[in-house]
This record gives sequence, structure tokens and C-alpha cells, in this order.
Amino acid sequence: MTATSVSATVRATVAVGSYTVIELDGDIDVGSPGTFAMVRDPDGAAFLPRPVGMFRRPDGTPAFLVDPAFSVGALVRARSLDVLSPLGTGFDLRGARAETTLLVGGGIGATVFFGVAAALGGSVRCVAGFREAEQAAMLELIAPATHREAALAPRLVTELVDLTGIELVLASGPRAMVRAVAAMAAERGTPCQVALEAPMACGFGACYGCAVELDGVWKRLCIEGPVVAAERIA
Amino acid sequence: MIDLGGLQLEHPVLNASGTLDARSAHTVLGDATLGCAAHVTKTITPEPRAGNAAPRIAEVPGGMINSIGLPGPGIERFCSEVLPETAALVDVPIIVSVGGFSHDDYVRLVDRLADLDAVAGLELNLSCPNVKSGCISIGTDPRETEAVTALARGRTRLPLLVKLSPSVADVAELARAAEAGGADALTLTNTARGMVLNRFTGRPLLGAGTGGVSGPALRPQALAAVAAARAAVAIALVGLGGIETADDARDFLAVGATAVAVGTAIFRDPRAPARVRDGLASA
Repeated sequence: MTATSVSATVRATVAVGSYTVIELDGDIDVGSPGTFAMVRDPDGAAFLPRPVGMFRRPDGTPAFLVDPAFSVGALVRARSLDVLSPLGTGFDLRGARAETTLLVGGGIGATVFFGVAAALGGSVRCVAGFREAEQAAMLELIAPATHREAALAPRLVTELVDLTGIELVLASGPRAMVRAVAAMAAERGTPCQVALEAPMACGFGACYGCAVELDGVWKRLCIEGPVVAAERIA
Repeated sequence: MIDLGGLQLEHPVLNASGTLDARSAHTVLGDATLGCAAHVTKTITPEPRAGNAAPRIAEVPGGMINSIGLPGPGIERFCSEVLPETAALVDVPIIVSVGGFSHDDYVRLVDRLADLDAVAGLELNLSCPNVKSGCISIGTDPRETEAVTALARGRTRLPLLVKLSPSVADVAELARAAEAGGADALTLTNTARGMVLNRFTGRPLLGAGTGGVSGPALRPQALAAVAAARAAVAIALVGLGGIETADDARDFLAVGATAVAVGTAIFRDPRAPARVRDGLASA
């Protein structure tokens, strides 16, 4: 599966709490859950494209979520976007069952779980940490059967992590949160996959800007990840 | 056809070293060369290098800054793995970019590559701003530039390009030095040394402290460097620095470049080299 460049018209922007969903027209392959897209406003001031997690709205519309408080939020004003998608390696959900999978998110990082919950179906459990209640509203976008619970700062999402009966943990969010969740999973011997973030210029292995330490050496996250087995970041 | 210091190219658009990995581009995009008339590899060093600590990139007005730090597998694994795999994917001449930290390093790199069928040309990177010694300290000193170029020239008949920095007082002097050393072409320019701070901490944002600025912010400096080199030397010139469109490329050709390279624009849009090529052809 190769990524393609598409110019997509922005169909609508929808506020969800303090985040904004940007819906796109056009034939965009959003990829499997955990993969990403590089998105740029050809008329915008930002020089580089931004990595975002694409998902489908219930009607199939391709979309992604941004936090208007950050520079990526400028994409909210775009009329059309250049989208390179799908990129990277997503979650390995082979053998995963909704009832025994735990999704642990931090902030906008929980976006990757929209696709995971849809793919697993059933009543998967998702816990996520946010700085403020308005951000937690994004959990409304996850599949309705999902058991969801938010931890608001200063409470930590790890306080909501209960691994009883869990056979697979998926974590996505700030590095410190992901590390903490990975350590909890490792302690119990529960398989864990983590979605990492890094500054990226290209998304297809050309710039070497998104280097993260995996297996103790610097690797390109866009090629190795962004989802990797938790042991690799230990 | 374009004659670039003895290399015959279908058209005048190349990729800049370090901005296109043929193998990952093939895997991810299904296109290893993105329409370039020659493929320029990421700079290879004698020994494996991990590269610099993160963060390695940041956006700046009109471009970006990087401190990647020449990560790579080292020359031996490059020759046994990377080069054969690249050659299998690329149907245009391959120019291997080499970077060292001493005269001996450049000798070793050139000797290892000079007789390989897959190598159509060599580019001496004398201008990487992101390594602590060698490389740019050679490329900012005319005597060193001439000496290293002459050493390489004496060991290969392959077309020999020398990549220079814009962050020097007199680029013409360095261009003359490379020409005197026997270079067939010059590549102008590498990134310009720069710095950005993390405004929350007041400390450098990039892991390595400083980095190299690229993108349209670099274009006026690069254009001036090509013009100055054109006035100083007779050999072919590859112009690069913030080229995004055919009109940008025409500016470089107008001041004397023989060919152009697209670099950072590939990160924004992998269709950029083909767009520049097609735009030049439809002039």
C-alpha cells in the first residue's frame, strides 16, 4: 500500500469541546488505525505539513482533529488541504478482542482510538487523560459502545488503568504517559503497543527529523512507527 | 541533455543530498526518484553514525532548520546493502555524497566507491553544519578545500562535485579552490548555519544547539552564492536553496547554474521535483 498526495476541499469544521474536527471531501485513504497523514494548507503560513491521525466520521467522511491552541490549529482556516496518506505503521490488531483490550490515551493522542474502537467493535474500554473538561469532549467521537472514562488534571490517566482481564494495551499520548502505561503493562506481562509522536518534516523517511530512540538507537518514527511495541521504548 | 561535469542528464533537476531516501520513497510513495534526472544519496560517512539528539527539526519563517547530524550505516554497509538496493530501484545516474572528518576519511570513501558500477558520480560534502569537526571546517578553508578535492581527484575519474556552504565570507574563493583541486562541478549551497530557541526555557530548541536553515528563507543567499561562483569559475554548477517552482529554478539557471536541485520542498510535497522539471520543460 503506497501513500498518495491528494488535494482535498474542507467540507466542514466542527467544534468538539476545545478541539475542532476538520472534515474533508475527496477520496482519501485514511489507513488502518494508528497510521497517519501529512497535511498542509497550500495557502497557509505554515511551511511544513503536519502529521495528523485520520479517521472516518460515522457517514464515512474522512476527518482529523486539531487543537486550535497550537500552530496546527491554523489548518481550521484552510479552504483546501494537501493530504499525503496513509503513512507509517499502525496498531497490530490481529487476535485483539474488544472485551480484553484497553485503550489508554492522553489529550489529542486519543484520536487514534476512534479507528481502533470501530475496528474492534463491541465494548472496548478507553481511558484518557486531559488537562481540562472541554478537551475530554472528544471522547464523544469514539464508537458509542465504548466504555470511556476521562481523568482530568491533576489526576493522571494511569489511575484509571486496571489491567485485570486485559490481554492487550494500546497507548497513545505524551511520551511520559506512554512510558508509564508501558511500564504498568510490562509489570504484568501484558502485551502493549504505543503510538509515539515526534516533529516530522516529510512523513516518508526522507528527512530523518522524526528520530526517536527505539531499541536504544535513533530510528525514523515515520518508517518504524508511529506505533511500536512498547518494549522498544524501554 | 544536460552535461553536468561529465554526467549526462535527461533534464536539469536533481534532488539535494539528504532530502530523498530512494528506498523509503519507493516503499512509501511507490517512486524512488520523484522524477529527478540523477539521484543524490544522503551523505555517507566512513563509520556508522547515530546522528544528533532530538529534536532535530523545527519550522522557521520561510523554511525549516535541521540538525540531523549525518546518521548513516557507514561506508561498508552502504556499499554492501544501501547502494545495491538503491541501484535496483533507481533508473537514473546515482551520485554518492560523501562526508568525512579528515583527509584520510575522504580518501577512504573515494577509494571504496570509485570502482563500483552503481556509482555515476561523487559529491564531496564539505559543508555540513551539523557535525562537530571536519566537513565544514574543510569547506570553509580554501586551502583545505583545494587539498581534499585534489586528493579525491587523484583517486577517481568519476565526475566529482563539491558541495559548499553559504555560511562563508567569500564563496568565490572557495569555488576557485575546488576548481583548482580538480572538481568537475560545484553544488551551491548547503544549508546556512542558524539557531532557534525554545521560548519557554530560553535554551536552544534543537538537540544539537545549532542547525542548518533551508527552504525559501535560504534562496536569496543561495542565488547570490551561485552568481558569485559563476563569476569565479568555469565548471558546471548545481544551484539549490529553497527551490519550490520552475520559476525559482529559472532564477538559478539565469545566474549561471547548469542544473538545479530540489531539497526541502520534497518534504512539503514529494511532487515538487517533477513539478519543477515539467515547469522548466514547458517554458
